[in-house]
Amino acid sequence: MEDLFTSEIVRAENLKKTFTLSRKQQRLEKTSLTRKVAVNGLSFSANRGEIYGLLGPNGAGKTTTLRMLSTLIKPDEGDAYIMGHSVRKEPQKVRDCVGFLTGELKLETFFTPDYLFDFFGAMHGVEKETLVKRKRELFARFGIDAFSQVKVGDLSTGMKQKVSLVISIVHDPDVVIFDEPTNGLDVLTAKVVTDFLAELKRMGKSVLLSTHIFSLVEKLCDRVGIIIDGKMVEEGPLEGVCGERSLEEKFFELYHGLKGEIV
Amino acid sequence: MKLVALIKKEFHRFFHDPRLIVTILLPGIVIFLLYTLLGNIIHTEESREMKVYLSGNSAVVEVLEQQIKESGDKVEWLPLENEEEARAAVKEGEATAILTFSENFDLFGEGARAGIVYDSGSENGSYFYGLVTSVLISVGMRFPIDVQTVNDSADMGREILTSLLPFLVVTFVFSACMSVTLESVAGEKERGTLSTILATSVKRSHIALGKIIPLSCISAIGAASSFLGVVLSLPKLMGLDAAMFTGYSFISYLLLFLLILSFVPLIVSAIATVSTLSRSVKEASAYTSVLMILVMIVSIVSLIVAQFGDWVVAVPVLNAVTAMGQILSGMLPVWQSLVSVGVNLVFTALLVWLIAKMLSSERVMFGK
Ligand SMILES: Nc1ncnc2c1ncn2[C@@H]1O[C@H](COP(=O)(O)OP(=O)(O)OP(=O)(O)O)[C@@H](O)[C@H]1O
Ligand SMILES: [Mg+2]
Repeated sequence: MEDLFTSEIVRAENLKKTFTLSRKQQRLEKTSLTRKVAVNGLSFSANRGEIYGLLGPNGAGKTTTLRMLSTLIKPDEGDAYIMGHSVRKEPQKVRDCVGFLTGELKLETFFTPDYLFDFFGAMHGVEKETLVKRKRELFARFGIDAFSQVKVGDLSTGMKQKVSLVISIVHDPDVVIFDEPTNGLDVLTAKVVTDFLAELKRMGKSVLLSTHIFSLVEKLCDRVGIIIDGKMVEEGPLEGVCGERSLEEKFFELYHGLKGEIV
Repeated sequence: MKLVALIKKEFHRFFHDPRLIVTILLPGIVIFLLYTLLGNIIHTEESREMKVYLSGNSAVVEVLEQQIKESGDKVEWLPLENEEEARAAVKEGEATAILTFSENFDLFGEGARAGIVYDSGSENGSYFYGLVTSVLISVGMRFPIDVQTVNDSADMGREILTSLLPFLVVTFVFSACMSVTLESVAGEKERGTLSTILATSVKRSHIALGKIIPLSCISAIGAASSFLGVVLSLPKLMGLDAAMFTGYSFISYLLLFLLILSFVPLIVSAIATVSTLSRSVKEASAYTSVLMILVMIVSIVSLIVAQFGDWVVAVPVLNAVTAMGQILSGMLPVWQSLVSVGVNLVFTALLVWLIAKMLSSERVMFGK
């Protein structure tokens, strides 16, 4: 039991999520269907200390999956376990051991990094002394000290990104879930993020990220899961999935097999 | 603990942003300046010349005379010989008022009465009436004065005040609540910072309360500023003396204050509710304007329909406006006011609960 929980840190079992489409969405997606299966029976697992990449095209269901894992939305069917806690039955416990972050910056611009760190520490219920210690440590480690008293709105994009990354691990979560970490970022800021992820791995954390960028997976991830149309079509250690080919070649092979030629 | 941190954050944002503080205080200052200016334009500062028929005697007369002289006005006392003639003179505007005191009035014994007859349509008449009531109260008179007006309409100054003030208060309170709440709730939802908080283990009800409590406090400051602006400048606008306002007792001020205070969180949570439902600040302001129009209609309806049954206390907004109107016209609807305050708080609690529910709703928070 113990062993299972410590090595297998995230386990998704047959996750399923269907959305009711609004009129507006039907128009946008040019469909008359009222329901859309966004995630369709997804199962996978990620181990401690690994970086796991969910790879898939637009609309594949990556965001939906990660939102279910971080308890922002509930699966219709199936369940997922983070550190052994069910996202359905123990969402509070899951939130305590998960840090969730999306690629876009979502910090209030009015506050300083210092203030926000304390605020989110309090939101996660971190003890005062622990918080002070962790702040000193993380701010030094990621070079935030220099601008910890400057309002977020006045920081450069790279600095902002660093701040939101650090704040996502204020409660020292075992798992960090990251939706499209480098989406829309310039090369310099993207580098801040990839360095951060590598550093998280060194710190012994498990990372679950979603992306449609092949190189990001090849550079960072230990395991990869390829999602197309809400289904996991291939899953395993990076070398195992790719074999001799590049990840890109493998992906398109799978994609053509499923959907035919792209027009 | 988490709730405290949420509340602190809202206050921190507010009190460290000079722009927001100005936004909140400005309406009151502008109202005061504007109304005072208007008042000065309408009423030139000529000194008044009043003629008052007097029957009976009292030390009050001396006090009145002194006050009138001090404000640079003149009064001429005429003995009351023929009441019919005197009334006619007041009606014609040749005299200001008739003031009567019973025998031994200054002993305040049984049967001690004071009476006043004046034309409430005349500026001097209203002014003199206000002065008399305030002096009588200041010398400790605790029994009612017999008031008669020669014209049919009731006291003009009071009537305008009564009908206008609740409406103005409601409007200003609403705009104070709006400027604070829209930005804080709809703005955070639009920028996605609200979902950052949703991913933490804080309770949804705490997030809702963490908004409503501080935003209500901040809006209350804005409401108080607007209210003060109105109260301080209205008498000037109508050419009345501040003395008129001393006609209201401490209890009536307290009730007014409580009513406004219970109105603020109600409006804040109503705006927060539509803001949570909206996807953007733009959408939220559209809904909020509809809400504002509704509230204004309700307060206008309460002006037109003078009398409601007791059921009115159960209707939020309408209950507060009605009770405010009654207080300003000199009544003391104590239980109605207190029940209205209670009802408003219950509705606020309901809305907070609703917001908490919406915060956990996938469709509301993550719907497309
Ligand atoms: N709240 C929602 N309501 C309705 N439909 C939704 C909702 N969220 C997602 N969908 C739909 O479900 C499908 C999967 O969406 P999802 O956002 O999970 O994809 P994704 O893999 O993250 O894609 P992207 O690369 O565009 O971010 C899409 O067709 C999307 O339109
Ligand atoms: Mg996505």
